[in-house]
Amino acid sequence: MDFTSNFIVQLINGIALGSTYALIALGYTMVYGIIMLINFAHGEIYMVGAFVGLALVTVFKVHIIIAFLGAMLFCMLMAVSIEIIAYRPLRRSKRLAALISAIGISIILSNLVNLLVGPKPQTFPPIEEILFEIKSYDLIAGAQINTLQILLIVVSAILMIGLQYIVKRTKVGKAMRATSQDYDTAALMGINVNRIISYTFAIGSALAGAGGVLVGIYFGVVKYNMGMLPGMKAFTAAVLGGIGSIPGAMFGGIILGVIEMMTVAIGLSSYRDAIAFGILILVLLIKPTGLFGKQIFKKV
Amino acid sequence: MALLELNKLTIQFGGLIAVNKVDLKVEKGQISALIGPNGAGKSTAFNLATGIYSPTSGKVLYKGQDISGKAPYYINGLGIARTFQNIRLFKELTVLDNVKIGCHSRSKAGIFGAITRLSAIKKEEREIEEKAYQALKLMGLEKKYDEFADNLSYGEQRCLEIARAMASEPELLLLDEPAAGMNLQEKGVLVEKINKIREMGLTIFLVEHDMKFVMGLSDRVAVLDYGVKIADGTPEEVQVNADVIAAYLGKEVV
Amino acid sequence: MTLLNGLLPPYIESIAITVGIYIIMALGLNLITGVTGQLSLGHAAYMSIGAYASAIVSLQLGMPFIFALLAGGIAAGIFGLIIGYPTLRLTGDYLAIATLGFGEIVKSLLFNMPIVGGAMGLAGIPYKSTLTVTFILVVIVIWMMLRVERSRFGRALLAIREDDIAAECYGINTSLYKVKMFVLGTFIAGIGGALWAHKIMVLQPRDFGFMKSIEILNMVVLGGLGSIPGTVLGAIVLTSIPEVLRFSSDYRMLLYGALLVIMMRFRPNGLLGGVDVTKLVKKSIKSITGSNFTNKEKKKVKGGD
Repeated sequence: MDFTSNFIVQLINGIALGSTYALIALGYTMVYGIIMLINFAHGEIYMVGAFVGLALVTVFKVHIIIAFLGAMLFCMLMAVSIEIIAYRPLRRSKRLAALISAIGISIILSNLVNLLVGPKPQTFPPIEEILFEIKSYDLIAGAQINTLQILLIVVSAILMIGLQYIVKRTKVGKAMRATSQDYDTAALMGINVNRIISYTFAIGSALAGAGGVLVGIYFGVVKYNMGMLPGMKAFTAAVLGGIGSIPGAMFGGIILGVIEMMTVAIGLSSYRDAIAFGILILVLLIKPTGLFGKQIFKKV
Repeated sequence: MALLELNKLTIQFGGLIAVNKVDLKVEKGQISALIGPNGAGKSTAFNLATGIYSPTSGKVLYKGQDISGKAPYYINGLGIARTFQNIRLFKELTVLDNVKIGCHSRSKAGIFGAITRLSAIKKEEREIEEKAYQALKLMGLEKKYDEFADNLSYGEQRCLEIARAMASEPELLLLDEPAAGMNLQEKGVLVEKINKIREMGLTIFLVEHDMKFVMGLSDRVAVLDYGVKIADGTPEEVQVNADVIAAYLGKEVV
Repeated sequence: MTLLNGLLPPYIESIAITVGIYIIMALGLNLITGVTGQLSLGHAAYMSIGAYASAIVSLQLGMPFIFALLAGGIAAGIFGLIIGYPTLRLTGDYLAIATLGFGEIVKSLLFNMPIVGGAMGLAGIPYKSTLTVTFILVVIVIWMMLRVERSRFGRALLAIREDDIAAECYGINTSLYKVKMFVLGTFIAGIGGALWAHKIMVLQPRDFGFMKSIEILNMVVLGGLGSIPGTVLGAIVLTSIPEVLRFSSDYRMLLYGALLVIMMRFRPNGLLGGVDVTKLVKKSIKSITGSNFTNKEKKKVKGGD
């Protein structure tokens, strides 16, 4: 394989990986936009989504599409309950308290799954059995793209367009934008802020759950600690794009995915995590508002 | 030369020009006031003067030195201290510690001082304690030194803000709505305290809502409306200014 | 200097040393997160830097333990400066993520660098962290922290925790103070790491992951963010109880997670948060001896009358 084709292959891999980062990053950015909390448990919600999808396919033998939707629904309900139990009571206390609580939830979720299914990776049924045969299509310069990658990218794109629609065109979306602008004023304007926050958690987590199932199908294995690292990288993606910005999270995710696969392509695969976090720290230093973020004025 | 001078001071947040080419002088030894309706940009002007915001254009001069865009800690070190409209005390610390922190600019001990506690450091600590006590006594809070700041009443918290500012031994004291939320009697006491502070030789610049409070206390009053200065003069002059009346009560339809 | 060594049964002595090391680690984190309010999720990274640096000093240079200890502290402090200087300007949650990212970078580098043994780690480190040495260091660190807490420097840190904008307006160069504090906190973590290296005698990168940082954070949170006696208590409880009860590590992590959530919900200030232990001690001394410490303190304050 020559350089160009290798480059294109890694670019496609990067976009596919980046789409999953983007799906997770959206949840971080939406929650941060609305209650200024880094929902540390978000990566674990993605992990739980993958396991719920797996359980629905293998134990309950439902169709993969039903499993996909089921995982999204489960993640929604779980995240809404987590918000009510662990974050809502702390909304008026120091921000550190909610963040520590979120870290606690993250640890509980990953260890609970570890206790339930064990530390061994669990395999997803092969894609041929549950959906379709994988076919590859030729692109320029001998590079190929396969149906699985197309599936991952297309489903992610549909979900993100759906999210854009909800946020920009619906009443709930308008209420979300209002709440993220000014929590107290939104409440005064008659918006049920608690409900809007629940919606935000629900939507963000549904996307993470979808991402979990997609990754399960794509890589074929799921593991109890699979949430932590992609969770952090998705957060990096959100920061890279500008936290609070939905298009920012999408682009940030894809950029990060591509950079990561390029790192692998040039033979530095054992440093891929270090490079991702290096980017995070660099963005925080050079432009903490990210590519799409607005400058925030501190209120005094 | 005025002690503090705002020179065509402007700040823009996105599309909003919160303070628009404001010229203002605060003369040494006087009590100057900045008034105006809600959202007129009064607190923003204070935030510009104390370095929390950097101006988009224009200057803040203190004793003729350009301090616009300098860090707040540096400006405090020059002798400007402020209070906050929405009280920003160190809530979980004691009243005494709040005021001791106010002494920061006028003391030196660092990490090694903290660990070694040489005699010079101990002496400095005693001086801080003494100054803090004097500041509390000035504001009538000396008996509450051991309470957590959060447990004080609203009026007491406002007084503690002033005590903390006084502990930094400023020449210029900026008070951001010092009387907000106080009852009549508390306001009366506050006027006495502010006059006493002026007699100590300090210059006072305050932002206030309560016209009666301002007019009785100030030597000079400036009025802001939508970020623009619309009047400046003695309380008597400002009170009869047509623009000011219009800004406060709305324009009469003729 | 072998005063305490061998006084206890070996198993208990080993636990006591571990407790001591965790007290040191937790006190360093308490300065950063408890006193100054800057959440660091990468404390184990500084511990690992201290551990590896000291191990190299011992193994490669064969220098006495005191130099290994100092090297551990200084190496961690330098990294604290490098990472703290830029990131401490960030608000709390960004800092948390940056420190976490840094921790993962350090782990990843340790895995990949031959000089520190890569995934195999370093072995054959001499056993030097005796109970006596650990005990002396614990006492020194507690003493230092108590002095820092009640000083101009410590008050500035507390002010930053309570309200950084107000702190800045009262003459505190918050960025500079945060960096100084972070260097001190990471220096202490490095000392803790050096002790750890010379107790366990084998170092592996995976011992210093995110979960180790969380374990240390838990000690600070349990005892009470910002409380020195609380942190010491938290370190003692969380180190010795799992040892004694022989928890499996899976359940231990679950417990740690639950503890964080429950503490934040019901006792955000920790077991000893809001309890002034020095005052309690003074009170009990007073009730025993009849002497009047608290009044003396009052007199001191009113001295300017």
